[in-house]
Amino acid sequence: MIVVLAVDALEYDLVEKFQCRNLMQKFYGKTDISEFSEPRTMVLWSSFMTGMNMEQEILALGDNGMWNARIEPKRTLFSKFVNPAIIDLPGYDYETLHHEKERNLLKKFFDAQHNTEKESVRESYNRFAFDHHKKIKNDFIKTLRGSHDLVLGYFSIADVIGHLNFGNAFLMRMIYRDLDEIAGGIDSPFLVVSDHGMKPIGFFGDHSSYGFWSSGEYDLGEPKITDFKKIILDLFHEQRGA
Amino acid sequence: MDHLDQLENDSVYIIREAYKEFKDIALLWSIGKDSTTLLYLVRKAFFGQVPFPVMHLDTSYKFKEIYEFRDRIAKEWHLNLVIAKNCQAIDKKIGPGEGNKLTCCGELKTEALKQAIREHKYRAILLGIRRDEHGIRAKERYFSPRNKQFIWDYKNQPAELWNQYKNTERAEEHIRVHPLLHWTELDIWSYIQRENIPIVDLYLAKNGKRYRSIGCEPCCSPVESDADTIDKIVEELKTTKTSERCGRAQDKERAYMMQKLRSLGYM
Amino acid sequence: MDDNALKLVIVGHIDHGKSTLIGRLLFDTGSLPEDKITEIQQICSSLGKEFEFGFILDNLEEERDQGITIDTTQIFFNSHKRMYVIIDAPGHVEFVKNMITGASQAETATVIIDAEEGVKEQTKRHTYILGMLGIQNILVLINKMDRVGYDQNRFNEVKKSFIDFLNDIKLNAVHFIPISANQGDNVVKKSENISWYHGPTFLEALDSLQAPQGSQDKPLRFTVQDVYNFSKRIIAGKVLSGVLHQNDEILILPSGERTRIRSLEEYLKNPTEAETGKCIGVTTTDKVFCDRGYIFTDPQNAPLVTHTFCANIFWMDKKSCKKDQPVIFRCSTQESRGTIINFHTVIDSSSLELIGENLNEIHNREVAHVTIQTDNPVIVEEYSKTAELGRFVLVTDDISAGGIITEVLP
Repeated sequence: MIVVLAVDALEYDLVEKFQCRNLMQKFYGKTDISEFSEPRTMVLWSSFMTGMNMEQEILALGDNGMWNARIEPKRTLFSKFVNPAIIDLPGYDYETLHHEKERNLLKKFFDAQHNTEKESVRESYNRFAFDHHKKIKNDFIKTLRGSHDLVLGYFSIADVIGHLNFGNAFLMRMIYRDLDEIAGGIDSPFLVVSDHGMKPIGFFGDHSSYGFWSSGEYDLGEPKITDFKKIILDLFHEQRGA
Repeated sequence: MDHLDQLENDSVYIIREAYKEFKDIALLWSIGKDSTTLLYLVRKAFFGQVPFPVMHLDTSYKFKEIYEFRDRIAKEWHLNLVIAKNCQAIDKKIGPGEGNKLTCCGELKTEALKQAIREHKYRAILLGIRRDEHGIRAKERYFSPRNKQFIWDYKNQPAELWNQYKNTERAEEHIRVHPLLHWTELDIWSYIQRENIPIVDLYLAKNGKRYRSIGCEPCCSPVESDADTIDKIVEELKTTKTSERCGRAQDKERAYMMQKLRSLGYM
Repeated sequence: MDDNALKLVIVGHIDHGKSTLIGRLLFDTGSLPEDKITEIQQICSSLGKEFEFGFILDNLEEERDQGITIDTTQIFFNSHKRMYVIIDAPGHVEFVKNMITGASQAETATVIIDAEEGVKEQTKRHTYILGMLGIQNILVLINKMDRVGYDQNRFNEVKKSFIDFLNDIKLNAVHFIPISANQGDNVVKKSENISWYHGPTFLEALDSLQAPQGSQDKPLRFTVQDVYNFSKRIIAGKVLSGVLHQNDEILILPSGERTRIRSLEEYLKNPTEAETGKCIGVTTTDKVFCDRGYIFTDPQNAPLVTHTFCANIFWMDKKSCKKDQPVIFRCSTQESRGTIINFHTVIDSSSLELIGENLNEIHNREVAHVTIQTDNPVIVEEYSKTAELGRFVLVTDDISAGGIITEVLP
């Protein structure tokens, strides 16, 4: 079984700062996403799974369309697997309705005029994200017990919470600790990949211009996000051969 | 010596050390309660004198009460007042308005400070920073070096052992001195109360609100409070258990963030 | 309530429960803002986790210090008797230098040891450093007693092994206390699970400590910090030990001049005496020469002026130091170039193994008994006599070593 822990906005500096040993594994580093004009979630994950720069294609769908995009399975690395399980990945298995509600709450936050309204929206937004995270976590743990050849769990909590709460360092620490515990519970060899990281804008979190990767077996150097299709398939073939 | 005496004593020692070790020293006065307390301590340290310049970073957006207070005290205490402004930026009308709150602080305050240090060749600056304030300040030392770009290498801080402080600066560095590091918010107000230190009356409640910290008018928001005298402020601080939240920094970057989120396709 | 906060440092192996202890201490003494506990509990339930006391310290650390926990932070709490400041010294092996800076301002130290794991390398290293810094009042907490079934035998086993170590380094513990920070046993509240223990809880033990004093009764030492000439000539300095009075006869070192104190100067006040630790201005009846680094002392009981003395030093610079290599010696307000002329014994501060005798060099994190010679005459004393004239730093580019004087040679 190959496992991929896809964590949106996992920030290299914070993984180090919070000493997340399970997320760091034996080798870890930054990914190169410099070929993209902006670190956009949908663009990056689409490029991840197809092994190609999907920026033009995805952006052509427009802001609204892009979030609902579904990449044809045969273009992705998942089609090479017999029994893959992909949880909530943007562009593939994304829970579009849920994440749309998320973005609406985000907009509501910025539209709100008074502090009290803002804080109440923030609370709803956070709660919504945490509930979803708990669900995904359970799904992921359950799926790991199955007999899939590939399990990919996509965790958006760091990104979603980070946008409005990055300045709450303790909250971020608890989230990273939780992600680290999730990583600690994976028994098979796994990869950690993030699309981009996060950097502060006052109390908010903006996307940083590099992602994170880690592996228990190989030093991948500074891979491009489009390299992972090949990396994962190579790992799979090795595992099968071994 | 009681608690406040001890704090005062230790601060006076640090101030005298800084004056002895560095020529070309200045005090950064934000006109707020902390730096005014620091200024008062400097007068104590030098027996009524303030033997070096006192610098005010003027962003031109400050409350008028701040300017009035500043000029009154500068006269009463015979201060050598240096007003630092990033005139270029002010002329360009850089302000917190057009979604520029992040750059506004950078241009008007940080740049102005950099320019002033360069112009007057100050080797050390006295600041009223406290350890119990929000943020990265807890990692500050009493004597903390900054290099030319104002980057502070907090992982490589020099050790401070037994009142022995860093006393040489490499070229290009200036040293920041923090004599109030070990004071808490309550200590400051208790000391102000005890010594009758003058403060800007924005700190006192009017119409159910007061400013817990002050800065430029466009970015400051008051908190709810009925404490309209210093005694009441001290009482309020003793009983409240909520930490000092800076009233001005919370949503400074909101407009910038909205812009970024739009460009990333979120909104 | 006693107004002077007692400064406390808590050291020990990284996993032995320091965070949990601090969290529990703050919680049980009600020293936290209420919204803080609620905040933490809410986040725990959002993530579907159980609340842990260690989270409190995590929260405080993040609140105060948005960086890696490699530096010292200050945390306040109070008992009914007095206020305490914890100088938390996380002591990750790589950042001993920063830990020394934190510990160096503490007045008492607490060592925490996991009852299951017992005394470990980090425990020893930290305790050794405390001894080096002359911290005498050590409390020892044997933690996680719940994990060993509150067993008295295990407690005694760990206690004995640590006493053996303390004897080796000639340190003394005031109390050994069995606790469980997680469960709350004997931290602030007396434990019902440990019936065989009749000593104080941790908080009670802290309250029973006397803040170090006694300096008031020692012979007068006053150090000159600077000399001002604003409206009149005032000598500014600090009383290092004893009490300075108006009219006191004094001996000035290193010059040997004698005079009397004409007045004590403090802005807006007219003091007639100044206690130990007080920064004060002074005028003298005779016109005397003095400058920064000069010492005023009791003529009947004066320290020696010397160029040579023995000391224990802790080297904390990545760059090593060789015999006869120039360093700068700083003690109180005195400063002089000097060299280490002999490394009598050099010890690894973690293993406590002897690295060698009569060596030529000291490296990072090593402790040595040395003889130092200064170019200029200095006024120093054994640390046990006058703390302020008995501890010093050695400076290369930054502070490279801290030291304590063991013997002054004429």
